[in-house]
Amino acid sequence: MSRSDRLRRTYPVVFLTLVAVITGWVLVAGNVHLSGLITAVHSALHKPSDSAQLISYDLLPAGAMDDEQCEGAPVNAGSALAADPLKEGIPNSLTARSSAETAPADVSGKKPVRMIRDRYASYSSVAVDPTNNEVVVTDENLFNVLVYNRLDNTPPTAITEPKRAIGGLKTKIEFQSGVYVDPKNGDIYAVNNDTVDTLVVFSREAKGDVRPAREVHTPHGTFGIAVDEEHQELLLTVQHDSAVVTFEKTATSEDAPIRLLQGEHTLLADPHGMALDTNDDLIFVTNHGSVHQVRAGAVAASGRIRESDLRKSNWPLGFSNAIPGSGKNLPPSITVYPRTASGDAAPLRVIQGPKTQMNWPTGIAYDPRSHELFVANDMGDSILVFSASASGDVAPIRVLTGPKTLIKNPTGVYVDANNDELWVANFGNHTATAYKLTAAGDTAPQRVIRSAPRDQPTLSIGNPHPVAYDSKREQLLVPN
Amino acid sequence: MAHPQIAAFARLADGNAKPVRKIEGQKTLLGRTMHSIVYDEIHDEFVVPQQFGQAILTFRGGADGEEVPVRVIQGSLTQLRNPDRLGLDPVHNEIFVPQGNSVLVFSREAKGNVAPIRVIKGPDTQLGASALAVDPVHDLLVVGGTVRGVGSRLLIFNRTDQGNVKPKAVIGGPKSGLAHISGPFAVYPAKNEIIVSVRGSSNESNEMSSDECFVGVWSTQDNGDVPPRWTIGGPKGVLRMVRGVDLDPKNKSVIVTDKRLNAVLTFYFPEMF
Repeated sequence: MSRSDRLRRTYPVVFLTLVAVITGWVLVAGNVHLSGLITAVHSALHKPSDSAQLISYDLLPAGAMDDEQCEGAPVNAGSALAADPLKEGIPNSLTARSSAETAPADVSGKKPVRMIRDRYASYSSVAVDPTNNEVVVTDENLFNVLVYNRLDNTPPTAITEPKRAIGGLKTKIEFQSGVYVDPKNGDIYAVNNDTVDTLVVFSREAKGDVRPAREVHTPHGTFGIAVDEEHQELLLTVQHDSAVVTFEKTATSEDAPIRLLQGEHTLLADPHGMALDTNDDLIFVTNHGSVHQVRAGAVAASGRIRESDLRKSNWPLGFSNAIPGSGKNLPPSITVYPRTASGDAAPLRVIQGPKTQMNWPTGIAYDPRSHELFVANDMGDSILVFSASASGDVAPIRVLTGPKTLIKNPTGVYVDANNDELWVANFGNHTATAYKLTAAGDTAPQRVIRSAPRDQPTLSIGNPHPVAYDSKREQLLVPN
Repeated sequence: MAHPQIAAFARLADGNAKPVRKIEGQKTLLGRTMHSIVYDEIHDEFVVPQQFGQAILTFRGGADGEEVPVRVIQGSLTQLRNPDRLGLDPVHNEIFVPQGNSVLVFSREAKGNVAPIRVIKGPDTQLGASALAVDPVHDLLVVGGTVRGVGSRLLIFNRTDQGNVKPKAVIGGPKSGLAHISGPFAVYPAKNEIIVSVRGSSNESNEMSSDECFVGVWSTQDNGDVPPRWTIGGPKGVLRMVRGVDLDPKNKSVIVTDKRLNAVLTFYFPEMF
């Protein structure tokens, strides 16, 4: 027997011995990860040679190279999610390829070795259907509108099962940042902040991947919504153009807005949420603060502006009409206007300054009985309550914040006057939470709706457009 | 998108992994529409455009939480109109901003209300600039974008070009597959490669999700209607609506963002490295 033959016979014995020893150690020590075990075995067998050998590798997550894992396996997927983008249009026959098959000429079927993705819904806005005792939320992660029983209360380890879910390519739902429920018929209005310049309206019975009952083409970057039932008007904030557009409530398709509020004097600056005081005919707008000025004819129209939009009345001036170098960053604010304000009208009042505690104020709601404004203060992890008559650098009347509240990156807020409740959409922890309207300080919610168990991390990824690799820290930088 | 942020994930993060840090909050000056980010490994900084405030924000590499940028380019002299994307040359210390019919070039260390040090602009440039990347090794500037009536193309200039200059090369046409360049792209100077995300043809049905979207690899030495050397995605792939790309050469990986999946995907791609 040659030396090489003896070695060939010896290797299996050595291998099995090593496996036995390490397995025994695992049984005694416990809590050893499979990847470490495999690496240890390979390290033990590694010998110098002239041929290629496996030296080290990162163990793929279980199933990362097969279809089942890529489906993401959302919890309660069967009913909780109307559609999962991971499943849309992917051929069932797609399988992992061997290295021989992935020749340079065709690597198009290559599958990712890793995919960072939140498996659970991230609630961005919330509204209540008082007639049907339902809570409606928008989900900017998996692109659904979800309808829950208003009285659902879910423990930290569980997930709330929605009564209905609307989602999928037919629905045109993606980054819905605002929601309104018609109190008369339960119709759901959902505002798309990005990617699809369409306000979608669904009937109360809608579920699954269905076409909207009505669509309205909107300017790019709409965020907040307020509806004036008395005057049958629908108001939207427009982030990108720092504007407010008003449509007839029954608008459809390519109907033009009936009013436009935009310009330097408005002090609109990256506007987000909007609330309506129908008694005093006022609108309240939250602003993050970044703004540039626009002027008709500043430069030639270009970019994503549609020619047909340019012919519409009351269509906001966009980036193609931006004045170069006019950009600035203002402090966050709430600006107050007459309901019918238009053109470059200055606000009646501005709430702004360090005493306000505002840090990316996003959603806003108004309670006509207490004459109070409730502000979802995204980066303060708080709900700020102001008098609706407040002006200037004023402190909130009360603040709802603290670990017991479960408020984390709140972006949506709703006053349920019928039930004296305040609802908060917490983008930062997979929850929508309900409180008494008078709640203050570190007060626990009365009820919690959850899209994920409490221990699941929240990624808050939203339309991850660019990515950069930080080679020093070996990290991926992902902006929204 | 309800919440602006820059989330940092570990290279090996997978699934719903928790970010290791986030940059977010009023003091960061960030806005929601961040369509570009570049990491400068020489100076350990990263740079993002702020479209609403017409600004370029530079942060230290290890920035965390509500941290202010170390430098801000903003003001009337900048000529910034809609800084949507940008490129960085950390070797020659320059920031490039594509802006439709022009490309603005700033000193990397510029801050405040400063004018660009160079501008590429004029009819000969053929620019419809929406994204770009710099090859500091071969002194090239690759500009991507779309011109109405012409389509999406990659224009290759000398890095130091300015004024009304013609591109050295133009990649585009039906064979190229460059239908609607999707987002920020990357170059890999070691192999003269350009890595570009392509959305596919623009129509309503493709707006949200498309089988046509892919990541393609071209060469900086290509010119004309040249198909990509490799593609990831398309009808056989997992990508639904690709956005941006970046490279991790050390680990032979291409990192891709996908809007419809709302996810960040890492492809092991030794073929191109």
